[in-house]
Amino acid sequence: MNPGGLAAVGTPRQRKWPSKRRVPVSQPGMADPHQLFDDTSSAQSRGYGAQRVPGGLGYPAASASPQGAFLADPVSNMAMAYGSSLAAQGKELVDKNIDRFIPVTKLKYYFAVDTMYVGKKLGLLVFPYLHQDWEVQYQQDTPVAPRFDVNAPDLYIPAMAFITYVLVAGLALGTQDRFSPDLLGLQASSALAWLTVEVLAILLSLYLITVNTDLSTIDLVAFLGYKYVGMIGGVLMGLLFGKIGYYLVLGWCCVSIFVFMIRTLRLKILAEAAAEGIPVRGARNQLRMYLTMAVAAAQPLLMYWLTFHLVR
Amino acid sequence: MAFTLYSLLQAALLCVNAIAVLHEERFLKNIGWGTDQGIGGFGEEPGIKSQLMNLIRSVRTVMRVPLIIVNSIAIVLLLLIG
Repeated sequence: MNPGGLAAVGTPRQRKWPSKRRVPVSQPGMADPHQLFDDTSSAQSRGYGAQRVPGGLGYPAASASPQGAFLADPVSNMAMAYGSSLAAQGKELVDKNIDRFIPVTKLKYYFAVDTMYVGKKLGLLVFPYLHQDWEVQYQQDTPVAPRFDVNAPDLYIPAMAFITYVLVAGLALGTQDRFSPDLLGLQASSALAWLTVEVLAILLSLYLITVNTDLSTIDLVAFLGYKYVGMIGGVLMGLLFGKIGYYLVLGWCCVSIFVFMIRTLRLKILAEAAAEGIPVRGARNQLRMYLTMAVAAAQPLLMYWLTFHLVR
Repeated sequence: MAFTLYSLLQAALLCVNAIAVLHEERFLKNIGWGTDQGIGGFGEEPGIKSQLMNLIRSVRTVMRVPLIIVNSIAIVLLLLIG
């Protein structure tokens, strides 16, 4: 394949090229070695290509020639440099402004979980009756990461549970021959819409009752997302054992979530009363208690509403 | 149960429109919900009614211009797509 004429020209360069061109840039159009030999700018690589072609697939030769063409051409060199500087500027801009819309550093706290935490939290969601201490530990004014305290809210379990719920809903619909791909999107969008309605309603009530609480919006989303775990359990049991299994497991998970939410929210919303144990200024605390009960009671209702049409 | 995010957006837009339409002089004063009638002393507990009145007044003030824009977009989209 080597005409041999320009091998002498290629020889002094051969030593340098193998070390530089280790990166196999596999461009689909350049895999044909015959095409390279007609390219005048790849004259240096012809000897290189002759050595490589018997052994390899011609990819190192392919990588040699277009990069030779690139670097030899000053205009495309400039264009590459300009393009990479543009990309760097864009990345800087995004990094600077992303914090305004999505609080990335705050979100990282909610995903600092490990396997033991997830296991303990799931157990707590299903059986919260024996847990004694529901306070979140603080470390110099900031709450401790979920990895170190099982009471801290996290976003990993709600996110995973939501996705699993959508998949399980698809599975349930499939076993009843009612499945179609856009139904998955409909289920996801519906569950998200209910979550948004819940969050907005609770934020509005917190504003109206003037509760001074450190319950942030993301915390609220995390707490409201825990009910998906019970929903998944209920639907899976319903798939395996029919309606009886569904109602049993759903009932159990509803009661557990109710107790879990009351015990968790009591510490956040009714902070003073819970700390002292004495009802101070009864009217205001009564409103707060009503709000906690309403939030906790809405969870079983929504759990039933979002799953009953999946189990027939 | 086609409760999608889009219908949620539409419902939210309609609710905000409803709040923005409550006229201060002609209506809210007549039912005692005017903002100059509700300011109690500087007590610690504003109470639900005064919080509501504050909320209505702030929504009307803040959302006046954005509502014009969002309503126009919604009207055009609904006319085109239905």
